[in-house]
Parts: sequence; structure tokens; C-alpha cells
Amino acid sequence: MKPLQMIRKNKLMFAVGVTYLALLVTMPEKATQAFGNSVYYLVEMFQVLPVIFLLTVVIEALIPKEMIIKRFGEKSGFMGNILALVLGSISAGPIYAAFPISKMLLSKGASVANVVIVISSWAVVKVPMLANEAKFLGVDFMAARWVLTVIFIFVMGAVMNRLVSRSSLDAIGTQLESDKLSINSDFCVGCGICVNMAPNIYEISDKKAIVILDTVLPAHHEIILATVKKCPTQAIAYNQGGIR
Amino acid sequence: MDIFTIGFWLVSIVLFIVSLVKSKQKTVDAMKKSKMMMGSMIGEIVAIIFLIGIVLTFIPPESIKSVLGSENTLMAVIIAALAGSITLIPAFVAFPLVGSFIDIGASIVPAVAFLTTLTMVGIVTFPLEKKAFGLKFTLMRNALSFGAALVIAAAMEVIL
Repeated sequence: MKPLQMIRKNKLMFAVGVTYLALLVTMPEKATQAFGNSVYYLVEMFQVLPVIFLLTVVIEALIPKEMIIKRFGEKSGFMGNILALVLGSISAGPIYAAFPISKMLLSKGASVANVVIVISSWAVVKVPMLANEAKFLGVDFMAARWVLTVIFIFVMGAVMNRLVSRSSLDAIGTQLESDKLSINSDFCVGCGICVNMAPNIYEISDKKAIVILDTVLPAHHEIILATVKKCPTQAIAYNQGGIR
Repeated sequence: MDIFTIGFWLVSIVLFIVSLVKSKQKTVDAMKKSKMMMGSMIGEIVAIIFLIGIVLTFIPPESIKSVLGSENTLMAVIIAALAGSITLIPAFVAFPLVGSFIDIGASIVPAVAFLTTLTMVGIVTFPLEKKAFGLKFTLMRNALSFGAALVIAAAMEVIL
């Protein structure tokens, strides 16, 4: 059972190994040539791997990410964009790891532009990866691509800021979190019934109802339940939590 | 080792010492985290590098030049950008892969397009992004990133 598990865990490695064995039997000279080609790149890779490792560690240990996140909501304009770029560039992990953090920033008041900047720079502008890129593609290539990419990330942020409204993003997916009260903007038709019933709790923003309440108090309980019932599309999600 | 790799080595070692002096605990924790992350990738990295060896042996440089060379750039760029959008290999191994293609004569324009869409455009991660930010945001961001990749690639051709 154990070797099977090993194979499943290292599918690619296994496939490549089998290919080499097959080559060795059928065309040994091609196999040696392929091996020689690989060793060259392998040596190059191992020259740069420790650097990537060290840089990842140093960034994680030295840069106070929480502080950047904390100051993020307050700062807007160009300074906010720079902070977003820094936050994305120093973070490790695949692009989808940026989604929950971006959602959190959004709820703290970050603009759509800054969310786009965080996601994009998270994907492309990895600081430790710059060493890798410079190694295999040259410093000129790395520097030019870096500068161009940063410019375009800012442009994309600005364009997205105009095209997508903040409030439409705010509502999406919040019902998955521990929020007590939220409105699914995919379902809301913007009829305004809930706003009429409880103007201190709901508001219409960009043709959709949104929740403007910071904390749900027991006093709100009855009126919220009433709006949940009245909502024509059942877009209001109310997690009664400990209230009941 | 070339001068820039040595430079990167020096900078990262100095920073690492600074980090150790400043907070040993934090540094050790970060090392553990990085070790886990890189450890899971190292098998894949080695495998892809040996795959590069096979590809380079069997695809003659002339044919790479004719497909990804500077002759029919527009087609090559679009194909490279599409390939980058749908594949999900770590950027980590993408650099030696792309570097090897350039070494044997591929033009840099499709290479840049591939690298940029590989990281910024995610067909595979599309459902996740849609769940977090909605369809409009996700469509727009990915479309804009795809366009940006093409423009960045073209600009690289002019600069380099």
C-alpha cells in the first residue's frame, strides 16, 4: 500500500521517472542528453533556492504585516495604493490565499482599487521570486517586467474602481462568515421594503439593499425577523446566534 | 555563479542575520513555515526540471524558434497568454521553464505574456474568486489582467 501512496503523492515525479526509464531502454543517447540538459537547470535552481527560502523567512519575520493591515483602512489615495502593493508583494502563497484577506480589508473600508492591487501584486510581484526570475531570465528582464507590471496593477486598480461598486462586493459571501445579519446581493432586487421597515438597519446602495448596522443588538431582533419574512426574494440572512 | 546571484545571496544572508538578532523566535517560526511550503514543492520542482530536459532533447530548437520565435509574434503571444491562463504550475518552476525556451530561441514577448497570465489570470481559481467577490468583479479582473499581460509583453519587446 505504501509505494502506491508514494506514487499518488508524487505523480509528476513518477511519470517523469518512468519516461526516463523508457528512454533509457529505447534510445539511451537521448536519455543521457535529456539528463544532461536537466542537470544544468537543476544546478541553477539549487543556486537560487536557498535565497528564496531565506528571503521568505526574513520577510515573514521582519515585516509587521498586522501593522500594515491595521493602517490600511485609514490610508487612502496613493499612500493606500502603495500599502496595498507592499502587502501583496510580501505575502506568500497562491493567489486564492489573497481572497479572504482582501475580503477582510474590504470590510475594513479598503477601496476596490486597493483590493485589486493586493490580489494582483500577491499573484505577480513576489519579492523572493524576483531572485528566481533574475537568475533564469536575466536582471534586465526581471526589472523591466516588474516595473511594467506594477504600473499596470495600478491602472487596473483605478479602472476596476470605476467599474465595480464597493457595496456590491461587500455583500457577497458575507453570509458565510460569522456575521449575524447580511444581504445576499445576488438575490436582492432592491425593492426597498426592508429599508422602509427599518431605516436604521438597512440602506439602498447601488440599487441593492445593504446592512448599515455595525452590531446587532437584542433590541433589533424583532424588526429584523419581520424584514426577513417580508423580503420578496429571501435575500436577507439572519443568524440569530446567541440572541435566542 | 553570476554577480547578481551572489548579490542576492549576500543580501538575503545579511537580512537573515538581522532577523535572527532582532527576534530569534519569530525567525525560527518563519523558517518552519517556509520549510513546510518549500518541502512540498521541491519534488515538483525537480520533476519539472527533468521534464524540461526531455522537452529540450526532443523538440529541436529550430521548431521552437519557428513557433515561438519573433516571426509570427502575435499568434505566439496569444497562444502563450491562453496557455498561461489555464495552467496552474507554480511561478517557481515557470521561470526555469520559460528561461530554457528563451535559451534555445523563443522570443521574449510570448514568454512575458505566459508568465503574466500564469500568475494573474486564473481559470482554475475563477470559482473561488467569484464566490468571494462576485461574477462581475472576477470577470473584469481576469479580463483586464489578460489584456495587461498582452500589453506588458508588447512593451517588453520595445524596451529590451
